[in-house]
Amino acid sequence: MVILLLAALAIPAVTGTFLIVFGRGSRAAAEGNANLLSLAASVATAALVVASVIARPVVDQPWLPSLGIRWQFAVDGISAPLLLLTAALGIAVVVHARSHPPHGGSPTMFYGCLQLVELGALATFLSRDAVIFFLSFEVVLIPMWVLISRFGDSHDLAARADASGRFVLYTVLGSTLMLVGILALVQAAGTANLDALAAAHGAGLERHTQVIIAALLLVGLGIKIPLFPLHTWLPPAHTIAPTAGSVLLAAVLLKMGTYGVVRLVIAPLPIGFGALAPAFAVAGVVGILWGGLACLVENDLKRLIAYSSVAHMGFVVLGLSSGTTVGLQAALFANVAHGVVSALLFFLVGGLKERWGSSDLATARAALREVSPRLGLALVVGFAASLGLPGLVGFWGEFLAMYSAWSPAPDRPQGLMRVLAAVAVTGTALAAGYSLRVLRLIWSGDRTTPAHADARGGEWSVLAVLVTAVLVLGIAPGLVLNSTIKDVAAITAEVSR
Amino acid sequence: MSQAVVSVNAGMLLPVLAPAVAAAIVLVADVAAPHLRRAHYVVALTSLVVGAVATFAGVGMAAGDARQTLCLPGGGQCMYAADSVTSALQLAALLAAAVTLLLSWPDDKKQSSGSTAVIVSLVLTATAGATAVAGARDVGSWLVALELATLPTVALVALRGARSAISGAVALLTTSLVSFSLLALAAALWFTATSSAFLTPAAALTVTDDPARRPILVLAVVLVVAGIGFKLSLVPFHAWTPEAYDGAPLPIAAFLAGVSKIAALAALVVVIRAVAPLGAPPLTAIAIVAALSMTLGNIMALRQDGVVRLLAWSTVAQAGWVVLPLATVSSAAVRASGAYLLAYVVATLLAFAVVAALVQTRGAARARTLSEYRGLLRDHPVLASALALALLSLAGLPPGVLGLVAKVTVLRPVVASELWLLAVVAAFNAVLGVAVYVRWLRAVLAPPDAPPDAAPDGAAPEAARAVRAHPATLVAVGFAAVALVLTSLSPQLILGLLGS
Repeated sequence: MVILLLAALAIPAVTGTFLIVFGRGSRAAAEGNANLLSLAASVATAALVVASVIARPVVDQPWLPSLGIRWQFAVDGISAPLLLLTAALGIAVVVHARSHPPHGGSPTMFYGCLQLVELGALATFLSRDAVIFFLSFEVVLIPMWVLISRFGDSHDLAARADASGRFVLYTVLGSTLMLVGILALVQAAGTANLDALAAAHGAGLERHTQVIIAALLLVGLGIKIPLFPLHTWLPPAHTIAPTAGSVLLAAVLLKMGTYGVVRLVIAPLPIGFGALAPAFAVAGVVGILWGGLACLVENDLKRLIAYSSVAHMGFVVLGLSSGTTVGLQAALFANVAHGVVSALLFFLVGGLKERWGSSDLATARAALREVSPRLGLALVVGFAASLGLPGLVGFWGEFLAMYSAWSPAPDRPQGLMRVLAAVAVTGTALAAGYSLRVLRLIWSGDRTTPAHADARGGEWSVLAVLVTAVLVLGIAPGLVLNSTIKDVAAITAEVSR
Repeated sequence: MSQAVVSVNAGMLLPVLAPAVAAAIVLVADVAAPHLRRAHYVVALTSLVVGAVATFAGVGMAAGDARQTLCLPGGGQCMYAADSVTSALQLAALLAAAVTLLLSWPDDKKQSSGSTAVIVSLVLTATAGATAVAGARDVGSWLVALELATLPTVALVALRGARSAISGAVALLTTSLVSFSLLALAAALWFTATSSAFLTPAAALTVTDDPARRPILVLAVVLVVAGIGFKLSLVPFHAWTPEAYDGAPLPIAAFLAGVSKIAALAALVVVIRAVAPLGAPPLTAIAIVAALSMTLGNIMALRQDGVVRLLAWSTVAQAGWVVLPLATVSSAAVRASGAYLLAYVVATLLAFAVVAALVQTRGAARARTLSEYRGLLRDHPVLASALALALLSLAGLPPGVLGLVAKVTVLRPVVASELWLLAVVAAFNAVLGVAVYVRWLRAVLAPPDAPPDAAPDGAAPEAARAVRAHPATLVAVGFAAVALVLTSLSPQLILGLLGS
């Protein structure tokens, strides 16, 4: 069984390395071959991930005995939905790239980087050793940087260099601060095993130690989430990144931040997190408002969705801060929901940008409803989910997050949390405002010129699957909530004491 | 023989003796047969390999174990001791010297260099100094060995004779002399404080009996840090570094970045370990110097357009990382520091080797500025991949896992001692460092400025490309690249060398 899990990591690692290092001179250099190889690897990886999620194997091998670092990988209820999301999107980006080939560099480099990003994300969600978690976290950086800086929008080279540079520098700062926090945590707790850390619930750690470590970790992970005011790297990165890069960035990479908060802060440092939770929640709620307001006036569609990501991740942060089982459940569900919705929207917008030549909302376009009904349908579903319409996937996470903030854990300041919950409600109103604004601008109307092609083939199948996921998870949120409840309850049992 | 003044075990001394003897052989052979050139390199490389093999007996030993020789009679103290850290540093110095020699392998087409024997013997002498200082346990041989590791490099920098080389050599010489005087003073203070010529914990512990002597010892250690700061290129003793690197021939710059740094750290480690049992409070001086070096080195490296100067300033920054854990004065810190230095040396030598290969292939004008690296991945995919791996390792980002593990290693003692401010400064410098190396990497990955066919005379670029790098240089690139790939896959290879 262990072999399943190791193969799930080995396949993207080997495929990615092969494509980047040897791809250029080999038969894989042709666009179609690289895509096929990548597709085969992603499908195999996804199958192995599904098998691992079912079989729940545990890997535990020594790697660096002098530092006490071990290869420790396992699957539990908290990571399983994110693993499945990552594996599924790993296939989706490759399928989508069949009909939208990359520009700006060799296809082998592009697909190799996609594989390495998938590797890093899977390893992050699988790892049970805090230092391996950090190493995996770093694996995604350079491939994503290459995707943005080489394959991104080449209209403005200076902007592209700025966006990719910002992305890599901000994220490195975040992860290095996180590393300092992890080392301090490992030093103080005497173990690097995440399960052991979670089981200890911070026993034996002084309050001030917990607060210092939690602060380092929250700032470090906050950059990745991204948490207001550390979010300024995200909009340019999304604007410039190629479609596949945007999708993975929003749907997978941001989740690594909130997942890290659960694993490294909430579970092992309950007292430290409790002390910082109000500030964390305030930052999240400011992000909700800030993102929503920015979306109301933003004229670049990709940038608009990036700001809406900041707002959605604000809800995740609010749920995490409440300290209750419901809040944590809400956060994990909102994580997955945002993964699905943002992937759908970025696939859509990436396709639209290609058709339009830009993603400017101020330019008059043909109404999607008229000329491309499939794209129009997907857009309506995506933005409806984004504004939190009940019955769609976006609703549950945000509704439960606000609910949990209204009735937080006993050690949280109830008054403040209720105010934050109330403010977050206005955030959903803003979401409705900007979602409808976008729909009014590009979906409705009766203009039919300049006409563009509707989604077909790979693009349409990816969009259709994501639209289905939005509907299915919206109607049956229990699919995710039941998977996480046991492990979440184990964490909050101690937190809410 | 039983009444020998000191016991001598030549086998243990082989890492020092092999290059030293080879240096003498080369000079004698040059007198006997003045036209020999490659033979010198063969002798030198053989001696380095012999020395490297001899260190295997010492690497990876458990903490506390040491192989000692040159001991005073009657079970007295020993002037030479090699434990795992010492042996690992010696091994690295010998291999780094071998890479340097490969890079400076004589070219068949140029008959001019009559100084081959001199260069080879100077490299060997400096290497012998580096391995000797690592094992030295008494003040006298420590001081002499450290200078032996330094002074030949002045000549090596100056030998090219160009104006920039002379100014680099003068900068190096001046700082070496200042550094030597500081170290000599430190040695005298050490003797005053401990009444012992041995750099051992036992000697250092004598000051606990007499609190009045403690400040003298502290002053001695601070002077050692300052003196070695020159050699390690720590701020504010770094000014010579860019001058000397840029003026020196490329292989010699690689030598300065590799063997010289190993020698300096080895010398510092000897002293730090001697005072570690005193339970000294964190050495604020080292913390400040480390923070300044990282910050200034990275900021200056960001402004460089020449790759050698960039590597020079990056050395300054990396030196800060190397001494960072030593601020905590513990044996774990010494191992961490050694591990970081080894990771840095492997990656830097690979970067230098690639630059050297490109200088030979494209000419110096087309390989010494960043803008000339645009499109390298397309023109030279293998060299470009090797360079990218080296840069990412220096930046500490996967796939350069070695560099990342090295950063984890050096941050651990700092965090364990709860030096939060220093840790946060280091975190910000990790970002600056990434900015430095990513700037170079961006050029490597970028598409070429203009397609080669568009050049006005189509034949010229083709002719330029036909020049192949010297096989020895390619061997050096391959050796360093394999070392970096293997140690990135399993950093335990390096961590294990330093013992547990």
